[in-house]
Amino acid sequence: MAVPLAYNIRNLRVRLFSTLMTVLSVGLVVAVFIGVMALARGLEEAFEATGEPLNVVVLRQGSQVETSSAVRRDALQVIQYLPGVALDADGTPLVSPEVIVLLNLPKRADGQGANVLVRGLRAKGFALRPPVRLVEGRAARPGLREVIVGRAIAERFENAGLGQTLRFGRSHWNVVGLFEAGRTAFGSEIWADTNELADDFDRADYSSVLLRAENPAALRAIERRIDSDQRLHLKAQAEPAYYAEQTKNAGPIKILGSFMAVLMAIGASFAVMNTMYASVARRAREIGVLRVLGFQPGSILLSFLGESVLLALLGGVLGCLLALPIHGLTTGTMNFRTFSDISFAFRITPDLMARGLGFALLMGAVGGFLPARLASRQPMVETLREE
Amino acid sequence: MNIFGLVWKNISRNRRRTILTVLSIALSLFLLSTLMTVLTELERESPDGDQHLRLVVRRASSLVDPLPEAYLEKLKRVPGVRLVHTLSWFGGIYVDERNFFANFGCDPETLFPMFNENRIPLDQLAAFKAERTAAVAGRKLVDRFKWRLGDKITLQGTIYPVDLEFTLRGIYTGLDETAFFFHHAYLDEALGRPGKVGTFWLKAASAADVPAVAERVDAMFKNSDAATKTETERAFQLGFVAMLGNIKTLITSISSVVVFTILLVTANTMAMSIRERAREIAILKTLGFTRGRLLGLLMAESAGIALAGGLLGTVGARIFYSAVDVWKHTQGFFPIFVVESETIALGLLLAVLIGVTSAALPAYRVSRQTIAHALRRTG
Repeated sequence: MAVPLAYNIRNLRVRLFSTLMTVLSVGLVVAVFIGVMALARGLEEAFEATGEPLNVVVLRQGSQVETSSAVRRDALQVIQYLPGVALDADGTPLVSPEVIVLLNLPKRADGQGANVLVRGLRAKGFALRPPVRLVEGRAARPGLREVIVGRAIAERFENAGLGQTLRFGRSHWNVVGLFEAGRTAFGSEIWADTNELADDFDRADYSSVLLRAENPAALRAIERRIDSDQRLHLKAQAEPAYYAEQTKNAGPIKILGSFMAVLMAIGASFAVMNTMYASVARRAREIGVLRVLGFQPGSILLSFLGESVLLALLGGVLGCLLALPIHGLTTGTMNFRTFSDISFAFRITPDLMARGLGFALLMGAVGGFLPARLASRQPMVETLREE
Repeated sequence: MNIFGLVWKNISRNRRRTILTVLSIALSLFLLSTLMTVLTELERESPDGDQHLRLVVRRASSLVDPLPEAYLEKLKRVPGVRLVHTLSWFGGIYVDERNFFANFGCDPETLFPMFNENRIPLDQLAAFKAERTAAVAGRKLVDRFKWRLGDKITLQGTIYPVDLEFTLRGIYTGLDETAFFFHHAYLDEALGRPGKVGTFWLKAASAADVPAVAERVDAMFKNSDAATKTETERAFQLGFVAMLGNIKTLITSISSVVVFTILLVTANTMAMSIRERAREIAILKTLGFTRGRLLGLLMAESAGIALAGGLLGTVGARIFYSAVDVWKHTQGFFPIFVVESETIALGLLLAVLIGVTSAALPAYRVSRQTIAHALRRTG
């Protein structure tokens, strides 16, 4: 027969101070775990969400990212007439040659500089990136040195707001529009005209070419064709795969998070253990009474273990609640591969919370097992005889 | 029995609880030392050498755009400049991407005069200068890949479309022994002599010249096609840290949560231990212990436990990180990772403070109780 759960709940209430302290320590561990993992998750999702399945990124062979790539202008002629390239409504190939420049801009928060990716593109570049929508202002007009800016960048960097002027290259560039790009990495970019940007930075070559394949089979054919052409010296990659590579940026944060969580969790299990040992010691007589009433040692072990798990789960719930306010908070870090700043938001997903709770459960079980076993093994008669 | 004997008796009466508490605090302080060391390492200064005299000149638009090599002669003539050095980040991959280490094209004549905290045997330096494809590497880097002098090393270009083969001619020692240097001229030639340089490093004649040199350089190139940004090596280094985002806030907030958790754990332990001892404390009172004395007794006990955990955690962290190759495991992110004595001292101070604080409330309550009341209470 099992000891009723109400007994455990009442016990937790009787020693309120001890219970609260333990719940809070487990809660803080869970909160830190969820917080750091939410940071990693947000960063990963920014890259995972980026890329259309049929888009192909073409880069120079040997370069891993657009920022260090170069595609000769004559190569574009070969690429855009490859079989399998999708056509726009007007019958021209959906191919966007782009120029990428990194720009060191001061952050609004602390004035410290970070590199923002400036992309030179034209109408085809927009057509190839459906998540990008202009939300304020208007589109940039060619020939006037106008740019549109991702909203996250406009908020985080000086002189990047709507109506402001950025000075880079050889000119002043007016910010005439703001765009949003869902959760994709494009939201961390500044968009200008291809030729204007190339002129200002003396770029004879494009940085990369983005194109749309007609279907998955055509995509593979285009990849093979470009990779194997010795004269082009280029490498083609599906756009989602290109950005998936960059989720590796979140690796160090995840390692840090797990490392901290494990250390703190062991510490918290010890705290749970202390609380439970004290609880067992103080209830020696009660345990004796329970035994006299006919509860088996196994039931007593389960009861104490359950109490410990309950204690830790309360902590887990508290931890989830403590971590929740950071959900959606935007921040930025350096994308180690492109060397440019990426804006993203903390993301607390249900599975992350479930992992936090699971973690708490584990702390409760580990911390509660030894004290529960001690409780179940107490000799019945002696405990009753104590004062 | 003196007062310390009494404190010791109390600490060791519930050995299991004391050990669990000490271990719990030790783990937290280990973590805290790690976090504090991350902050220290990100902003580490070279203790010797001329770091305070060094300035970095880069392209104003961004670090990835190069500067014309022709700036070299102009920079040499700037008043207050004693030495000019070229340094270009190559970003080459050795065999596998995961083997990341810093590699630069540089001027072999000025490399060691510029970074004078690094040492190299004279014959190796001469061999490095004499051969266009020669390279030097730090002791730690050489040990990691088990290279030997004379080995051929190929780096695959990622930023530049060339792969370069080098011959290892020298091994340097110093604070950061994880970098790889080769002749910039070799890279320039492989690229078809574009005459571009990543950064110029300057050494000012004196510390007083540093700000003026930065201003003079930037003013000189202000209206050229490639405007420059000149800053001290320290500012340049901190600029990198800033690009990583708000690491400081992240680490400080995690650290404060950790400290708070230790406080909770210790306070809970002390509260439990003191509550169980209410009668005993009443007896001590009847024996003539004053309230202040009792308070001190309990605080000393708590501080002792916290200090033991603190010592174990902080010193443990130092030993752990001196045994583990952090540079390799973080894929080159932390070339050096040393838990400094200051960090240990700070950790211990925190531990004692936490110990004293966490005993304060329960000890105060119990010391105020009347003797009769406490004696009547059953444990």
